[in-house]
Amino acid sequence: MKEQVVCKTTELEPGEMKAANLGKQNVLVCRTLDGKFYAFLNQCNHQGAPLDKGMICGATTDKSKPGDYHYCRKGEIIRCPWHGREFDIKDEGRMLANPSKKLPSYKVRVEDEDVIVYK
Amino acid sequence: MAKNQIRIVDTDIHERVQYADILKYLDEPFKHYIQNCHWIQEKHMPYTQPAVAGVDRADAVLPDGRPAGSDLAFMQKQLLDDIGHEFGILTSALDPSPSSMHGWYEMATALASAYNDWQIEEWLDKDDRLYGSVHIAAQDRDAAVKEIERVGSHPKMVQVLLPIDDIMWGDPFYHPIFEAAEKHNLMIGMHHNEPPVYYGKWPRYFIEWHTLIPTAHMKQVTNMIFNGVFDKFPNLGLMMIEGGFTWVPHLMWKMDQQYRDLRHEVPWLKRKPSDIFKEQIRVTTQPAEELTKQEFMSLIEQMGTDEILCFSTDYPHWDYDSPTRALPNMDAELKQKIFAENAKAFYPKLPNS
Repeated sequence: MKEQVVCKTTELEPGEMKAANLGKQNVLVCRTLDGKFYAFLNQCNHQGAPLDKGMICGATTDKSKPGDYHYCRKGEIIRCPWHGREFDIKDEGRMLANPSKKLPSYKVRVEDEDVIVYK
Repeated sequence: MAKNQIRIVDTDIHERVQYADILKYLDEPFKHYIQNCHWIQEKHMPYTQPAVAGVDRADAVLPDGRPAGSDLAFMQKQLLDDIGHEFGILTSALDPSPSSMHGWYEMATALASAYNDWQIEEWLDKDDRLYGSVHIAAQDRDAAVKEIERVGSHPKMVQVLLPIDDIMWGDPFYHPIFEAAEKHNLMIGMHHNEPPVYYGKWPRYFIEWHTLIPTAHMKQVTNMIFNGVFDKFPNLGLMMIEGGFTWVPHLMWKMDQQYRDLRHEVPWLKRKPSDIFKEQIRVTTQPAEELTKQEFMSLIEQMGTDEILCFSTDYPHWDYDSPTRALPNMDAELKQKIFAENAKAFYPKLPNS
């Protein structure tokens, strides 16, 4: 099984993301505010934009009634640098506006200070 | 689609000037008003563009923080070289947009000239692939005609740019602008600035406004056709930029049906509106809705011609369309037309070898 150390845990603060290579694939490594690591293909499933150039942020929730704004999920949402599509890091990379679409994801484990990504 | 199969003609690229960069092309006192009095063009939009980096693609903002589209070398690297453009047509950013300024015609006129000089010197003269749009302050019609006369013969100026905002350009008052454009083999390019899509006002949400932009494009096309612009200026063409294209069959059908009933009001129309559209109006593809191949081909069939659509990216704005991902797969001949030949056939000043 192909696996690779993509960074040290100290290189990515909670609420940050960065691009890394796993063989020929470009991977987006994300760290949510609870300190956990996640990895996805670093390419938007819409038009292929490099997701690491977007932002990791929160979102307004779909639980809102008309006229209500609740900003939540801080550090758990990836937004594409082009069209702003939102992907839920903690829900398998599903797109908020269409959860049947998701970003291809990778497994991640941490050994000592190494963040290791694998299929 | 292989990335470099076709060398594309991109009909909507937004270069961006910063006020500091344009100062040297401005005469006094206009320079003074910007430099010392901090004048900037008025803004109307009550919301942010709720993408990641405002109006821009987040990855197109320059590493040193300058706005996207403000640096030729960066644009070459990220767009022209990477995609392998044959030609790109510059359509500027939202600001400054001299012909959609309200009031202060003198500033608008000065700004249009300065913008054209800046565009020629900093972009058109520096990259063979780039072609430009003549900016005018059309509200001062006679000054606008003078500006077309001044820079319209530049070999790389292919169109006169008019914003889609709150002026309906088919009004006979503006016809001298079309006459001057036609004289210089320039087409008209129309791009929305901040059009009042909502009964002359702003809707509550950006998503409403952005959804309805095509309605502003439809109004201009309807207005230009029924005011007889294309009958009066048979060599003039109109490129509708950044309104998408799925509205085209609807408007053709609607105008034709109305024409059959109400022709007597506009007797100067010698052709049915859809024929005028087919012959003299072109439409850029972006922002393309996500269509299946079947849906896309059906629309082309409904238009009655595959020569209307001209591919555009809208680089570097957030709603950029990727040449390899935005449109469904299509056969090689159609692809060649949409990605290159239609635009070359439309713009008389674009090399067509």
